[in-house]
Amino acid sequence: MQKGFIRKIKPLVVLSEEQVTLIHKSTLEVLKETGLKILNERALKLLDKNDCNVDYNSKIVRFPPEIVEECLAKAPSNYKVKARIEKHDVEIGGDRVYFRLFAGMETVDLNTWETRTPTRKEYYDYLTVVDALPNLHMVGCYPYFGYKGLPENMKIPEGIAAKARNTTKIQLQCFTKGSHAYTAKMMPELGCEAIGVSHCAAPLTYYRDSIDAMFTYINSGFPIYICSGSVAGGSAPSTIAGSSVTNNAELVGGVVIAQLIKPGVRTMVGDFVFPANMSTGAPLFGDIGAALHLAAYSQVWKKYGIPTAVSVSGLTNSKLSDYQCGYEKAIPTMIAALAGINVIDFHGGLTGELSAHPVQAILDDDVAGMIGRFIEGVDVSEETLAVDLIKEVGPIPGNFLTKEHTRKWWRKEQYTTRIADRITYPEWLKNGKKSALDNAKEKYEEILSNHKPVTLNREQDKAIENILEELNEFYKQS
Amino acid sequence: MEDNKSGRDLSEFQKDLLNDLKKSIKTYDRNMAARTVDKIIENKMDPMVAMNAMTETIRIIGEGFEKGEYFLPDLAGAADAMNGALPPLEKKIKENGRKVENQGKIVIGTVLGDIHDIGKTMVSTLLKAAGFTVFDIGIDIKAEVFVNALKEHDADILAMSALLTTTAPEMEKVISLIKEENLRDKIKIIIGGGAINQEFADKIGADGYDPTAPGAAKLAKKLIGK
Repeated sequence: MQKGFIRKIKPLVVLSEEQVTLIHKSTLEVLKETGLKILNERALKLLDKNDCNVDYNSKIVRFPPEIVEECLAKAPSNYKVKARIEKHDVEIGGDRVYFRLFAGMETVDLNTWETRTPTRKEYYDYLTVVDALPNLHMVGCYPYFGYKGLPENMKIPEGIAAKARNTTKIQLQCFTKGSHAYTAKMMPELGCEAIGVSHCAAPLTYYRDSIDAMFTYINSGFPIYICSGSVAGGSAPSTIAGSSVTNNAELVGGVVIAQLIKPGVRTMVGDFVFPANMSTGAPLFGDIGAALHLAAYSQVWKKYGIPTAVSVSGLTNSKLSDYQCGYEKAIPTMIAALAGINVIDFHGGLTGELSAHPVQAILDDDVAGMIGRFIEGVDVSEETLAVDLIKEVGPIPGNFLTKEHTRKWWRKEQYTTRIADRITYPEWLKNGKKSALDNAKEKYEEILSNHKPVTLNREQDKAIENILEELNEFYKQS
Repeated sequence: MEDNKSGRDLSEFQKDLLNDLKKSIKTYDRNMAARTVDKIIENKMDPMVAMNAMTETIRIIGEGFEKGEYFLPDLAGAADAMNGALPPLEKKIKENGRKVENQGKIVIGTVLGDIHDIGKTMVSTLLKAAGFTVFDIGIDIKAEVFVNALKEHDADILAMSALLTTTAPEMEKVISLIKEENLRDKIKIIIGGGAINQEFADKIGADGYDPTAPGAAKLAKKLIGK
């Protein structure tokens, strides 16, 4: 199993107990009085049968607080998910923190920083890098939104197949126009699981496909990931408290549906809330307000005891791997880890969701390692206090470099960077003045030359291909 | 300028009313705008003078937005206040047998299969603030509904939105139907949304694309040549 990082320090507190209760009560009030619009007949019937107040004309469902509380209590707080190989299994929940690959629509040229559609090879190579990176534990919905030559409808399904073929790490499975009914059959063919995605459209609306996907994934035995994205000041109130209430209502409503479909189903929620850029209307990626939002969200969901993920953390408005990219990605991600989020989207993305690159993912992996090291905290024991050793070494000319204690402990205590430029100035001059980005580019080549993911056997690969063909046929017919 | 010319003939009370109208737009006060316009009509002032005062105020706010002094909520607030005052004013202008001047008529909506509303609404608001008459026909809109709305409103521009890569191709279907109905030559088509880029816009034969809401309003002005 992947250990990820275990947070040994207390989670960050940005809300008082009273404030957490207020957000929860306001969520219940919105769910009870305004409700959610659920554009899915099957879900409406299920909710109706379970004593929710359903208006079939407007598709509005109002949720009685006691049903909400019951459903929240049914979701497990900790669970395992099975990968294709045992060492990539994960256990989600509690104090464990994993990092997950985030998406970019297209790839980006590392010299001009202009974006373009990736080739199939570039898509597959990215996944080889994903498989190799030690601090990247799970794969998101996509590395890129498809590659050259794919019909629009097949971009997501072919991406799911590409992930299954090129990495043994657990993937999120998104959907498009009914694809979930086919792609949900892929992982069972490989003897493993994926995490199914269902998302809310803010404000307060679930559309048909998303709920259909929830039914399919849950009935296929997958854990379900319910996420909601909104722009504060656009599709959510502009205040952090108000956008916490709408986002919370959207997620809680989703959890209720999931737990009614199958009580006890493994559930994780995802926060994707940004402030609006009031000059352009776009989400304000990398904004500190998003970090404050996710910290508040984490606190509320800790109360519910349901595992959490965030997507706002790994996003930057920067178009290139520069200083802004570094701080916009690292600061919210550090806050997410401190706040006790279980799964943090981080690696790979640039320019909001517009672009991504495996070299950026390599840079990010170094930061993930640093953050992971921090949250594991300080080990204080008789051995680490090293009083006997200090007495033995004493003042100058004593030193600790030659001691066995140092050899045993330094690697555990320090995070050893793989990418950052930490060499001395004369060495830097001699080695061609390389930056962290240059080092990451070299690492990329090294990974592609040396890392070999565990591939599918011929039968497995054929099974995946057959499912893709069936789906392609379905789209041609429809 | 018509308002300046007419302005010289106004009484102090009438000037105060116009200043109140401008203030209502600047302070995003829809009720005040509506009340003031009612008084302007009661006092038998030229409705075109009031209309020009509002347009001028919106233009100043728009310029402030360009300079980074005003932001989207300001533009939306000003447009909302103006919309509160428009119906009685337009009615009066028509009663007087005159034509309401505007930048042009735009039908806007999110394509079939896509229920994302906010980007489209933001563009719609900014287009109104830029002086266009906007018919926002909503989300999840079929090609036939777009075409019917274009005909019904005798529109100059069609603006389509799609957030998803899977719904964006629907735009091409709408454009095909517009061609079938022989409307393509008289309508400019602009598109936007998360899934859209210039390459896609060129591919499907749209007249323009812009990644931002303020950019969409500028694009519409450029295309319509006013």
